[in-house]
Amino acid sequence: MKYILMMNTMKAGHGVPGWPQKDLQAHIAFMISLNKELHESGELVSAEGLSFPDQAKLVRAGKDGVPVTDGLFPESKEFLAGYWIVDVDSPERAYAIAARASAAPGPGGAPLNMPIEVRPVMSAPPPEML
Amino acid sequence: MKYILLMTGTKAGVDTYRAWTKEDIGKHMARLKSLIKDLRESGEFVGDQGLTGPEEAKVVRGETKGMPITDGIFPESKEFLLGYWIVDVAIPERAYAIAALLSTLPGPGGMPTNMPIEVRELASHPLKWS
Repeated sequence: MKYILMMNTMKAGHGVPGWPQKDLQAHIAFMISLNKELHESGELVSAEGLSFPDQAKLVRAGKDGVPVTDGLFPESKEFLAGYWIVDVDSPERAYAIAARASAAPGPGGAPLNMPIEVRPVMSAPPPEML
Repeated sequence: MKYILLMTGTKAGVDTYRAWTKEDIGKHMARLKSLIKDLRESGEFVGDQGLTGPEEAKVVRGETKGMPITDGIFPESKEFLLGYWIVDVAIPERAYAIAALLSTLPGPGGMPTNMPIEVRELASHPLKWS
């Protein structure tokens, strides 16, 4: 069963670059070690980090299909900061991994306890959609 | 440059999509398949993933006594990630153009959905685990 673990933040919360160097290094070391562990257990399918929200554009097609881009978002908008896709035997295992990621160290080494959204990914589109 | 094209929607938006006729869904999926085929042929396609519906979502926070804390309640206004595409393109404008193509996929009655697609570059130095 494949699950996606999503780390969402508000624009204001995207403050990682403002952390002291030592705390940032500890955070990254934790993430690398978690990824390595999940890779070794065969559970890690993929993981990506996204650029910061100031790089985000919202695109719609205008007349003639020309892209219309907008970079303005409501303050309350949640941005995807990064995600993991894991292949696990039970949803509980996905929640346990999410809890580990949630407790990644932040400033001063204290656990961030950030919320991680967990959802199964579709293995294939439902047959009626093909 | 790798870009992620994010399709998001609220619970209410997902319910609207579920009410489409089989014919409308068929046309939508056929156009999507043809677009993906084009992107594979141009070498720009990296990956895509559809997620299960918001009712499957859980938010997980750090452990208390080793147990993950899960919650399945979300505000009505919450935007859920429905799926994404990752493309490898030469310039950001090409990523926006592909997003505009996705935005014009047909919806009910064959009319373009004009759904907004959020476009962001992937972090160029992802955390390596192997």
